Amino acid sequence: MEAVVVQGLTYQYQPGGPFVLKGLDFQVGRGEIVVVTGLSGCGKSTLCFCLSGAIRHNRDGVMAGEVGVNGKNIREMRGASLALEVGMVFQDPDTQLFSPTVEDEIAFAPENLCLPPDRIRETVDHVLDLLGVAALREANPYQLSGGEKQLVALAAVLALDPPVLIVDEVMSQLDAGGRKKVAAVLERLRGMGKTIIAVEHNLEAVAFADRLIVLENGALVRLDRAETLLADRNFMTARRLIC
Amino acid sequence: MAEFNRIAGEREMPYMKLDPRTKMVMVICLSSLALIYNTPDRLLLVLAATVGLLLIFRFDPSAIWGYLKPFLSLMLILFVIQCVFTRGGEVLLAVGPVPLITSKGLSIGAGVVLRIVVITAAAMLFTTFSSRDFILGLVQWRVPYELAFMVSIALRFLPVFRDEFINVITAVQLRGVELKKVSWGQKISMYRRLFFPVVYGAMLKAQQLAVAMEARGFRAYPRRTYLRRLNLSSADYVLMLFFTAATLMLIGINFTT
Amino acid sequence: MSFLKLSQVTFFYPRKLKPALTGLNLGLEKDEITAIVGPNGSGKTTLTKLMIGVLQPAEGEIQLEGRPIAGYSLAEIGRRIGYVFQNPDLQLFCSSVAEEVGFGLTNQGCEPATVEEKVDFYLDYFELAAYRNAFPLHLSQGEKQRLAIAAVLANEPEFLILDEPTIGLDAYRKKLLEDYLKKVARLGRGMLLISHDAPFVNRMAERVVTIENGRIQSDSGRKGNAVYEA
Repeated sequence: MEAVVVQGLTYQYQPGGPFVLKGLDFQVGRGEIVVVTGLSGCGKSTLCFCLSGAIRHNRDGVMAGEVGVNGKNIREMRGASLALEVGMVFQDPDTQLFSPTVEDEIAFAPENLCLPPDRIRETVDHVLDLLGVAALREANPYQLSGGEKQLVALAAVLALDPPVLIVDEVMSQLDAGGRKKVAAVLERLRGMGKTIIAVEHNLEAVAFADRLIVLENGALVRLDRAETLLADRNFMTARRLIC
Repeated sequence: MAEFNRIAGEREMPYMKLDPRTKMVMVICLSSLALIYNTPDRLLLVLAATVGLLLIFRFDPSAIWGYLKPFLSLMLILFVIQCVFTRGGEVLLAVGPVPLITSKGLSIGAGVVLRIVVITAAAMLFTTFSSRDFILGLVQWRVPYELAFMVSIALRFLPVFRDEFINVITAVQLRGVELKKVSWGQKISMYRRLFFPVVYGAMLKAQQLAVAMEARGFRAYPRRTYLRRLNLSSADYVLMLFFTAATLMLIGINFTT
Repeated sequence: MSFLKLSQVTFFYPRKLKPALTGLNLGLEKDEITAIVGPNGSGKTTLTKLMIGVLQPAEGEIQLEGRPIAGYSLAEIGRRIGYVFQNPDLQLFCSSVAEEVGFGLTNQGCEPATVEEKVDFYLDYFELAAYRNAFPLHLSQGEKQRLAIAAVLANEPEFLILDEPTIGLDAYRKKLLEDYLKKVARLGRGMLLISHDAPFVNRMAERVVTIENGRIQSDSGRKGNAVYEA
């Protein structure tokens, strides 16, 4: 069964305003990594918001079409059931970290899901280890460098252990070592049967992708296997994805 | 050598590790005394006790000055008003037949200023534990967790928003605008222009934060669990009882004498 | 004489045992493009904040055009050095995109017609003309980044410091930025780039300085040919 099913998805930030997403149709299988790319402003982040259910906080926006996650309609899910299905790492790490220490930041999600304290501790240890940020455990997230903040934001969502993970440019501020680590973590999660949708500009850093989606002005212009698409230099150059 | 000293100086010193709730009780006791006392001698004793506590909790009392500095002119005005408008006691300074400063006025004026200092100093006890412990303390006292988080995040983001404002002021100056040398009129018109975007930006940020919290399951269930638990030690119980009893007794003495 | 000169600069963040930067010596010239590279948390951003006087060193001295930087006001520094912050949200403070780009020029007393002309040029070049009247913080991350860069470039400062300017930029916009920065450099204006984007650094920089744990690990020297491998 497909993990994420998108049908005729459109979005406008205001009723009557321009369409930021124009009738997207695609499916993502369980245990697959799909990378969404395209020029900035093409609707990648908006797509992430729609897929994660976070878009309903934007009250003026108009969303049409359907997004199904593991057979459930995302519009009908709220709170816990949504958080248990989809985890999302937002683009700007500064607006998603709010705890006094990194440990608290990571413990936040399992605490909300009412895990017993020893399981929370296990989760925190595991996630810190996975991303190699155990040394930052007692640090104040607000005082970390940009790249470190991104790792902590990812760790905090991984602690939810969602079957579907949406990550919006989580590697943009990472150094080469950090990018390698995150790529390895994503591949490992895929091995565990998780579904990952990642937005990424840097096409040199998407070796882990199974398929690529190219958006242009809110429309899906191509969905193809990653090797095929990356090898199609003519297409990539024409769409200004490489220069 | 200098480096060695710095490290030695910062090494954790053995100090009282108390439950934040004990400290909250202490703050309530000290502030109540500060509000009830109105003579400088008693207020000075409360101040001394507060500073003593801050030292025990390894808080540098000189930092209080930083918090009081912006209110200095306000405190001075309060002091002068109390001095001049309170009559009674010996006349210390007179203009002709009109007494200007009396001993009672001076003592009430000093009392008002001291009261502000004591309450500020007592509030500093809150900074000797983390906002996590603050939330835990309140929740374990059966305050709803949403409320505890709201208060703690508000407290935590006050300095963040102050920093953001400083950032904007810095960014404005780095674009070549001399904010320190322009006239007051220009300064005010500049601040007025910046006000809307800065406040609106802060609201956007708060909204994004709320979305991120909910995406991580905040308020998913009516209850939640916690990684840590606070446990009141016997020292906590003894100190809480001692502070409450002593405060009540002192208040009693104050009203009977 | 270097345009910006750091001598034995050490910096501590409050309540931190380890210095963020230790005994740094570095001279930056106006006729070259220098890049500072290094892993996350190595002190790159802290270093640039010292260079523009937002932070003050605990030890050592920083000189701008031969005078201690402590003697300059932020506005005086800002008129000499254009600084693009890592996070665009921190430097956008106007109510519209066009106002943001024209802000510095207007406040330095440029003629409205000149301001208008320059704003049009920068909005066109960085493909922001469609958002002319939009509220800056409503833009997407990549658009905000371009706007922040455009707003600083519009002031035409003698020297530029860009902290991770390629974050959020797609390949095409990165190319536009590169072309523009090279043009600026040819006009004799110096530049310091902080970046971990190895291809970008290798295409742009004439000199590469690596810092790690708050110390300079290597410096290719003036107009050196160091290659940065991330």
